[in-house]
Amino acid sequence: MSSPFYREFSRRDLMKIGLASACGVSYSGWLPRLARAAAEQNKPRACIVLWMSGGPTQTDTFDLKPDHANGGPFKPIETAVSGIKISEHLPGLAEQMKDMAIIRGMKTAEGDHGRGTQLMLTGYRPGNAAVRYPSLGSLVAKEVGIRDNELPNYVSLSSFQFAPNVNGAGFLGPQFAPLVVSGNSDNPQARANLSIDNLKLPLGVDEESMKRRVGVLNFLQRGFTSQTTNESAKAHKANYERAVRMVESQAKHAFRLDEETNELRDKYGRNRFGQGCLLARRLVERGVPFVEVALSRVNNNPVSWDTHSDNFNRVRELSGVLDPAWATLMDDLRDRGLLDSTLIVWMGEFGRTPTINTNGGGGRDHFPAAWSTVLAGGLIKGGQVIGDTGNDGMEVINQPVSTKDLYATICSAMGIDHEGENISTEGRPIRIVDEGGTPIKELVG
Amino acid sequence: MMTSRVSVWLLLVLASSTVESARAQETEPTAPNTAAPETSVVDRRSPKISSLELAKWIDEQFAKQWESSGIASPAVVDDATFMRRVYLDLVGAIPAVPHVRDFLYATGTYKRQDLIDRLLRNDRRPERYASRSAEHLARIWRRVMIPQNSPNAAMAAGFEPWLRDQFASNVAYDEFARTLLTSTPTPNPMPENQVRRPAMAPLQVFYQANGGTPVSSADAVTRYFLGVRIGCAQCHPHPFSSWKQEDFWGMAAFFSNATADGQLPKISDEAGASYSAKVLWDKDITIPEDKSPREALADWMVSPTNPNFASTAVNRIWQHLCGRGIVAEVDDLDQVADEERAVLDELGKMFAESGYNMRWLIEGICKSKFYQRVSLSADAEGDAEFALRPLKTLTPEQVFDSLEEALSLPVGRVDNPPRFNGLRDAFVNRMDEAASESPEEFRAGIPQALMVMNGKVTADATSLEKSRTLRATVDAPFLKPADKIETLYLAAFTRKPSEQELEFLLKHVENQTNEKARGRAYEEVFWGMLNSPEFVLSR
Repeated sequence: MSSPFYREFSRRDLMKIGLASACGVSYSGWLPRLARAAAEQNKPRACIVLWMSGGPTQTDTFDLKPDHANGGPFKPIETAVSGIKISEHLPGLAEQMKDMAIIRGMKTAEGDHGRGTQLMLTGYRPGNAAVRYPSLGSLVAKEVGIRDNELPNYVSLSSFQFAPNVNGAGFLGPQFAPLVVSGNSDNPQARANLSIDNLKLPLGVDEESMKRRVGVLNFLQRGFTSQTTNESAKAHKANYERAVRMVESQAKHAFRLDEETNELRDKYGRNRFGQGCLLARRLVERGVPFVEVALSRVNNNPVSWDTHSDNFNRVRELSGVLDPAWATLMDDLRDRGLLDSTLIVWMGEFGRTPTINTNGGGGRDHFPAAWSTVLAGGLIKGGQVIGDTGNDGMEVINQPVSTKDLYATICSAMGIDHEGENISTEGRPIRIVDEGGTPIKELVG
Repeated sequence: MMTSRVSVWLLLVLASSTVESARAQETEPTAPNTAAPETSVVDRRSPKISSLELAKWIDEQFAKQWESSGIASPAVVDDATFMRRVYLDLVGAIPAVPHVRDFLYATGTYKRQDLIDRLLRNDRRPERYASRSAEHLARIWRRVMIPQNSPNAAMAAGFEPWLRDQFASNVAYDEFARTLLTSTPTPNPMPENQVRRPAMAPLQVFYQANGGTPVSSADAVTRYFLGVRIGCAQCHPHPFSSWKQEDFWGMAAFFSNATADGQLPKISDEAGASYSAKVLWDKDITIPEDKSPREALADWMVSPTNPNFASTAVNRIWQHLCGRGIVAEVDDLDQVADEERAVLDELGKMFAESGYNMRWLIEGICKSKFYQRVSLSADAEGDAEFALRPLKTLTPEQVFDSLEEALSLPVGRVDNPPRFNGLRDAFVNRMDEAASESPEEFRAGIPQALMVMNGKVTADATSLEKSRTLRATVDAPFLKPADKIETLYLAAFTRKPSEQELEFLLKHVENQTNEKARGRAYEEVFWGMLNSPEFVLSR
């Protein structure tokens, strides 16, 4: 068994079977206290990333500047936590603020969609072409995923329209690659239907026959792979194993959104993002540790959050999709006792300029210098704001947070050692989180 | 449907000469937009050495290299593997059973060379090899010139007709570059709130799909023609290259609007700084009175003194045919040390001297032992393993078109076949979602696997009631079980089964108690073959 899946006997495994101290494995020192509690807790942990494709404007969502010209027309509203105000177009989330923490001091240095996406989805700055960094989902799938899960450990309901090839497993290899749920549900007119095509056996083929088919395939595969150590052959094998497992298991029920009530489906919003959030809950419920859902196209807006022009109409529209979906997701998870084990991460590739340009109705451009992300649920201490961007929002004046810090925080909240290492294809150790990342102590410990 | 069934029998069992008429009956005339010259085109310029001599030169270079690293030269593949490989690389689909039988039984020292020549030059019906080859190379090149993550990659197919014509008439590569570089991209931003654009001339599609701005055009042209990524170079310096803002914006200036003949165009960056047009490496460029800035750019680009133009072209062709470039970093040639690119540069020079003759280059590479070396070996390790040919992942179109061949799918318009009724498009689109940019990478995920496992194309193909290949094979009264399995192997794998394979699969079939179950067993065998790595990874 040469796959890393079998080789790696993680600290977590040791702890699970109570051998950690007996084997002399020390796990104190690298995890903040609360996170260690997480690692010891039995409930499987999960992470849902809400990806705001195009780079969401912080000034019109979570970091309003009502007393400054940069503020624009949106009004702030009170939230469930006194003193924290967010956009009037996010009323549902305002009620959830006790379980949410806003990081207003994001400070990154990538202002290009492709590079920004790569940075935020891998935690590493692009530029080192020799290393293909795994995306956050693959890292989580490897660290907390369950080997024989009937469902893949990383499901992506996303179209990273600005960097379509970024969400791969990188050097971790194909067994940690996402199941990308596609389909034609990008059409806003169609009722969102996030199903997996071709999961059902064709007419006239029963399960017995499928087993025999797979038997022939395995024989042919063995013959082929015995003559090569080629990566593509391995990737093909790993992929078919995962696909066959899904077909044979009942886990495919996860994708049947029509098992949910119409009322709940309506609450999430009958659009790809809303139904994607609902599907994320169904997946987490069934043990999938990482799901990402992208909010990209809305109605006739092909640029999603990339609002260089007509910013305010578009953001109002995007907020109308974001708010009910996310707030309902929080409620739904809480109702099922899953909110405290499910971390929700809201982010995009960068923020947008606080200043407003004059393009059609006023737009905002790319701005990585001072912007916002949000962490919610899981073991995050909610009801907090981290960082400050002053009166005009032009710079972080207090507690800047880098992508590395954000990643270290996410890891800590997931019980993952952010200083741990993976081994790249070339045999080089690569840290899970780039060197120098520090968890935000107010949020995780 | 009786005639059709008999003809499929014939197709699968006999050699091609016998059945060409049967096949011809089924094949409708060429689709209107794929018309190509009926006769092979005479090369406009004649290279100094033949393609066979080029092949010999290539083999000498690699023999030297392997010898100096103490590796035995890898073996050359058998006829069957060669045939599948060269069909996939040059025509984009695996060969049909009668042609496989023909080729395997043929004797003659030059049968491989002849096959290469035939695939690239012979346009006789019903095979239309030369036309199909031009179409296939155009699809490959569209993927190279408009990478999947380009801003408007969705429109890329509109670039193919132009590319197809270039390959079909073997246009000299410097002319190819000149035409592309001197076409004027009209700024045509996506209209607000609109997803669909009006149809656009193919050359415009290249620029628009890559982003449609001066910066994206400069980036695309520099990456594709020169193997240099100036866009990235502005952010991260590299020991072998030191591109500066002036280089980046200097190239972009050629694609700005402000251009008058004989004058240096200028462009401003976001901060308002102004840059004059400037080419890479050389300090200055002067624009002759009688030329537009773009013509001057093209002159510089295709000049034999340009260090990267010919080498990059050769490297890209090499990557397509052999799976990996002579220098693996096809898009970062400027970051490769001189000694590492010595063979590439030498071949680039020969390519320039041939009059930039693409067909000559392709033929020469395919005729070399290097191209024909094995990819699989049970015992090669370390450097010896690295010397093997990489497995090449089929492109989405190659997978479908090979299925079409293996399944004997109807292709005539009267039958409303998959290639015209939307099934091919749906299949290719799904595969495209996880298509890799390098042939060395296999990126297909679960949705792609599920489509081949349970989707309509395979479902029909592996159903005795619906599958032409399967029915014709299984029902053939004159075939023994072992012959039936051999026929399925020839159809799907372009080879005969090994003894071990035959034994296992015969047992799979003959263990069944009744006729119906045996029929099912053949379905299972064929399904396993279509889903196997051997089908989608070119050996």
